[in-house]
Amino acid sequence: MRIGDLPPFVLPSPSQVVATAIEQAPLLGQHVATTATEAVLGLAMGTMLGWLLAVLTSAFPTSGQISQPVVLLSQTIPTVVLAPLMILWAGYGLTPKVTLVALTVFFPVLVAATAAIRDVDAEYSDTVAGLGGGKVHQLLLVRLPASVPGALAGLRIAATYAVGAAVVSEYLAGESGIGVFIQRSRKAYAVDQIFVGIALIAILSALMVAAIVALRRVATPWQINLVST
Amino acid sequence: MTTTASNTDRTSEAHRSSEPILSVRDLTITFPASRGGRGGRQDGGLTVLDALSLEVHDGEFVAVLGPSGCGKSTLLRALGGLLDARARVEGTIAVPSDASGRRATAWMPQRDGLLPWRRAMANAMVGAIAAGVPRDRAKPRAQHLFKEFGLTGFERAWPHELSGGMRQRLALLRTCLAERPVLLLDEPFGGLDPVTRRRMNAWLATVHLTEKAAAADAEVGDASKSGSGVVLVTHDIDEAMTLADRIVVLSDRPGRVVHEARAQQRRGERYDRGALLSALDC
Repeated sequence: MRIGDLPPFVLPSPSQVVATAIEQAPLLGQHVATTATEAVLGLAMGTMLGWLLAVLTSAFPTSGQISQPVVLLSQTIPTVVLAPLMILWAGYGLTPKVTLVALTVFFPVLVAATAAIRDVDAEYSDTVAGLGGGKVHQLLLVRLPASVPGALAGLRIAATYAVGAAVVSEYLAGESGIGVFIQRSRKAYAVDQIFVGIALIAILSALMVAAIVALRRVATPWQINLVST
Repeated sequence: MTTTASNTDRTSEAHRSSEPILSVRDLTITFPASRGGRGGRQDGGLTVLDALSLEVHDGEFVAVLGPSGCGKSTLLRALGGLLDARARVEGTIAVPSDASGRRATAWMPQRDGLLPWRRAMANAMVGAIAAGVPRDRAKPRAQHLFKEFGLTGFERAWPHELSGGMRQRLALLRTCLAERPVLLLDEPFGGLDPVTRRRMNAWLATVHLTEKAAAADAEVGDASKSGSGVVLVTHDIDEAMTLADRIVVLSDRPGRVVHEARAQQRRGERYDRGALLSALDC
């Protein structure tokens, strides 16, 4: 398939992109593995961070009032600006990239988990307190489980950002990863390879979202019937 | 006006002579005025209860009857230690406490309060967990009560899979498993249809009598036991008349005690319905 008179080195055909992907497959495996590792670890770390912060700020509202402006401000800073600082502080290894992914994904998890806790908190917390339960009981029996569906909903959104954030961090430093592959392809004017990289980002993101949807079914079994009815 | 029926049974006589297990003296509760306060609010806020006094004696089932919005639920929340921190409380509330100094009451909310993420058995166990009842004692009792409450076979059901009546029974079961001497029931069957509601009232009467007998047995060997009682808040006069040893009628907001009546066990009807209805109309 050709669009207009654009030559293949400007806009390659899908068949050419597929052919390039097959040809580059042995090389791509390592790049995909690196990006997937950064995205998964960052996603896990960011989720834990966002989830914990949501639970803690609901249990101690004052801490929420203090942390909220800081958290909001942190989200105004683009990843690409933070990346050089991370590399300066944490080196060229996996750590700065995982940290960048975590910083990108924790916000949607925090927002969704906080909303989930707020929606159910009063009624159920009162029930537990009315039976003699203290703050710890309310945390373990109500806030923590109440936050799970929200955290997972936020995680599903976050998963779509995670691979992109990992790729951006690889642009700035790294020896392996889809970002590095795209950078090298750009320098070699191999547009077909750039398209292979873009397709890999999309496929990896879709796989992560699918994994989280599956995780949601396992982690919130009480919602399965609610969703289908 | 506070009246007491003269023909009381022996239990009621005992109630009057013994020390109350729970008492409220001149309780006034005021909520702070919100911006753009509505009608009924004064400059000092919204007074929900006004100089209310109430006592519950050992083994007694007291129904607090009153129109909607008269402060019945607020009274129960105050007894259960669940009042909003912003509420201004005047007067005294004396509720029993357990050995560890915790409030010895178990509150059952208007809505069942079942946790959607816990199966039926796990929800029932919330009562025991929150109250600190050891699991090895609570679990066999829960299994026994599932049978007693007609919930056998539904131990692994999610709350949304249960009918309204089953959910309320489960909530009551959870409250019983807390093993607190004083039960505070806030219109526990308010959302149910009349037939289910009548059945649930029969359940509750049975539960109360069973708990009373168990408490009496336990008291033989435990002189330190503080006694047991039930406070039921309702706007259903039939429910109150069926279940309670004593009925306290509250006025419209701010709630005050306008009438009090004890059950007359040896007559056809336990209460003078006319007197209760006229007190409610005050």
